Amino acid sequence: MSDHASIQQEHPQHWETSIWPLIMAVGILVALPLGFTFKFAYNQPLAAVLCLGVGVPLIIAAVAGWVNEAITGGEGLSAPAMGWFILAEAMIFVSFFASYWYMRLTAPDWPPGGTPELPVVLPLVMTTALVASSLTFHAGEVMLGRGDRGRFVAWLVVTMLLGSAFIGMSLYEWAHLFGQGFNFETNAYSTVFYTITGFHGAHVAVGLGIFLAMLVPALSRRTNDGFVRTAGVYWHFVDIVWLFVVSQVYYW
Amino acid sequence: MNVLKEWIFTTDHKRVGILYLIGSLAAFAVAGIVAMLIRIEHTTIGPTITNNPHDYNVWLYFHGAAMILGFQIPVLTGYFANYCVPLMIGAKDVAFPRLNALSVWLFYAGIVLALATFVMPDPPDVLWTGYPPYSTITSGNTAFYTFTVLLIGFASILGGVNFLTTIAFMRAPGITWNKLNVFVWSIFAAFVLQLIFVPVLGSAVTLITFDKYLGTTFFDPTKGGDVLTYQNLFWFYSHPAVYVIFLPFIGIVYEILATFAKNRVFNYKMVVYGGFGGIVLLTGEVWVHHLYVSGMADWIRVGQMVTTLLISVPVGLVVIGLVGTLYKGAITFQTPMLYALGTLFLFLIGGLTGIPLAVASLTIHLSDTYYVVGHFHYVMAVAGTFAIFGGIYYYFPKMTGRMYNETVGKLGFWITFIGTNVVFWTMMDIGVKGMPRRYFDYAHFPQFEFAHQIMTVGALFIGLGFALAIFNWIHGALKGEKAPDNPWGSKSLEWTTATPPPSGNWKEIPKVAEDWHPYAYGNR
Ligand code: HEM
Ligand SMILES: [Cu+2]
Repeated sequence: MSDHASIQQEHPQHWETSIWPLIMAVGILVALPLGFTFKFAYNQPLAAVLCLGVGVPLIIAAVAGWVNEAITGGEGLSAPAMGWFILAEAMIFVSFFASYWYMRLTAPDWPPGGTPELPVVLPLVMTTALVASSLTFHAGEVMLGRGDRGRFVAWLVVTMLLGSAFIGMSLYEWAHLFGQGFNFETNAYSTVFYTITGFHGAHVAVGLGIFLAMLVPALSRRTNDGFVRTAGVYWHFVDIVWLFVVSQVYYW
Repeated sequence: MNVLKEWIFTTDHKRVGILYLIGSLAAFAVAGIVAMLIRIEHTTIGPTITNNPHDYNVWLYFHGAAMILGFQIPVLTGYFANYCVPLMIGAKDVAFPRLNALSVWLFYAGIVLALATFVMPDPPDVLWTGYPPYSTITSGNTAFYTFTVLLIGFASILGGVNFLTTIAFMRAPGITWNKLNVFVWSIFAAFVLQLIFVPVLGSAVTLITFDKYLGTTFFDPTKGGDVLTYQNLFWFYSHPAVYVIFLPFIGIVYEILATFAKNRVFNYKMVVYGGFGGIVLLTGEVWVHHLYVSGMADWIRVGQMVTTLLISVPVGLVVIGLVGTLYKGAITFQTPMLYALGTLFLFLIGGLTGIPLAVASLTIHLSDTYYVVGHFHYVMAVAGTFAIFGGIYYYFPKMTGRMYNETVGKLGFWITFIGTNVVFWTMMDIGVKGMPRRYFDYAHFPQFEFAHQIMTVGALFIGLGFALAIFNWIHGALKGEKAPDNPWGSKSLEWTTATPPPSGNWKEIPKVAEDWHPYAYGNR
């Protein structure tokens, strides 16, 4: 064994490096904790905007650089790893729902005073859009499996449009409810409504970001099957969670 | 310059591990100094080194949060997991090296936020538990508390994803599940727990920040919220968290005991499946024992008492395995072994003194006294730290290629060991007699002043002993003798690499013999 060691010393070895993880961590630190704190704790919107202005580009650069490095190498175990990640994600939703159920079941009356009529049709449309986007993504995956990159890109774009439409409708609804005086502080129902739909919406947004990170290299004919499958697992998960959100928060 | 670049941009699991080690030891050092401040403050009744009770709250916050979230969890699931798991399973690296680097830098981001405590005008002052309603109305910066937890928690979730995948898919041919090192199993179990429970903590602390800054009403009873929701969510994570710490540290103790006793691990399958498996299954069912005095129906108290006591069964299996591993071994007492045995001793005291706390009728008197503080320092805080220090000594030659000084190592151990028992035994003693915890000024309990003075002296001993160990490492890393590849004569795979292990660990993926086993000392 010790001769092994001496060989190693004669030839300086090559250590693997990547700059992007560090960049991403710095971006996250500046954009989220510092941005949030300046805005909401210290009431300094300008400083908060500055934090976002520095942090968000760093995050975007890191995602782009990272994808660029990884897409050819192929981290082949990412789909099973996504399974573990989803376990963790599911637990976040479980704790939000648990807080919600606890509040609701111990409340003297529900919905509490100050709650306006919630829209009935819009959530149905949103549900349709999201479920459809899962199907269109799957269609894209099938196309990629057949080696048809062009159709894959087309279905991917359709998926992204559906996802964006979902977010658009969600924002419209929030704005509408805010207009009726139903905001974060109104009552227990508004608290869970905004927390749960907001948190789910953030997941949709992250999913769209992942798709974008896939779309850009795909346009220059670079795709990675493992990456696509992993993103799909995540997207289907976000879709399924929505079914819980819609049934518990809107229609119960 | 190039060397620096190869370190801060590294994706190699060993270097990521060492970055974790440096960050978490820094957190340990600062949190340790703060502990000394707390102890010195209590040397006299009334103000001693600060007039401001608020400072005291900030210290308690920093000490607790940094020790648990900044030191113990990262050093165990960050440093030890990174350094040892790939080497033990014969892999060239973890499954996702870049993700691994992201984890360590997110952890550093969390440390930066935590350290901001000492420079910002409104540091968090919510203890490590962050209970509302205080945390949602204090003038301290609760958002920094929340984000510290979120950053380190997110790092840990990514680590979990990475290591569970690595252990499941990247074992070298021939290394079956039943031939994994006990430490690898302990990391597997700890990360399963992290993945299930950290998100719940993340939600809890996020909701207090929403309540405080965005005006939501989760914990505001006047608007339909309930503070007990927070306590439940918080302890739903934080009871399992003690096992996230316990499992890896006991895994390290297993490695050390087997090597220095030159003995097989006693009852391997019982320890892994019965002990670790049982802990994973039961640990999510007992959190309510932290709420015994918060108010609940009697039947819940009784149920929780039963599940809590039931956990002693798998924990007992783990302890029996340790003792059995020593039985008829050819034991030698180098520094790592002393620390490992110290852990066993401290854990036994801590575990036994936990039983009265599990019994609802007794804990109503003991809760919120120094007895609890003494108990959990024995069982988790110092037992864990002894295992961690033993583990660092154990892997020191592999990691640095040099030896530490054995005499200084032993001296440091004994000084800390004596200091520990002086401090925490005294704590339990005055706790039983009625000394409440978390008091800035104990003017109502003048009878305990002398005990507090003894504890302050003991705490200085603890600090001195740990400082000696850290000095020993720095000195050894720079000036120590060259270390052989396998100084302890272990059979485990991590010792078959060159010292220190090169990039990629082995030239080729190692092949193990049919009858190979990490503990095959010829007496199975
Ligand atoms: C061996 C069996 C154990 C039993 C029966 C037990 C029981 C308990 C109980 C009932 C409490 C709540 C006391 C109160 O406030 O009323 C408690 C507190 C605590 N225990 Fe344990 N425990 C055990 C093992 C452990 C282990 C292994 C660890 C860590 C590795 C640990 C760490 C803690 C901590 C940190 C607290 C303090 C929580 C606070 O801030 O209030 N315990 N223990
Ligand atoms: Cu507990």
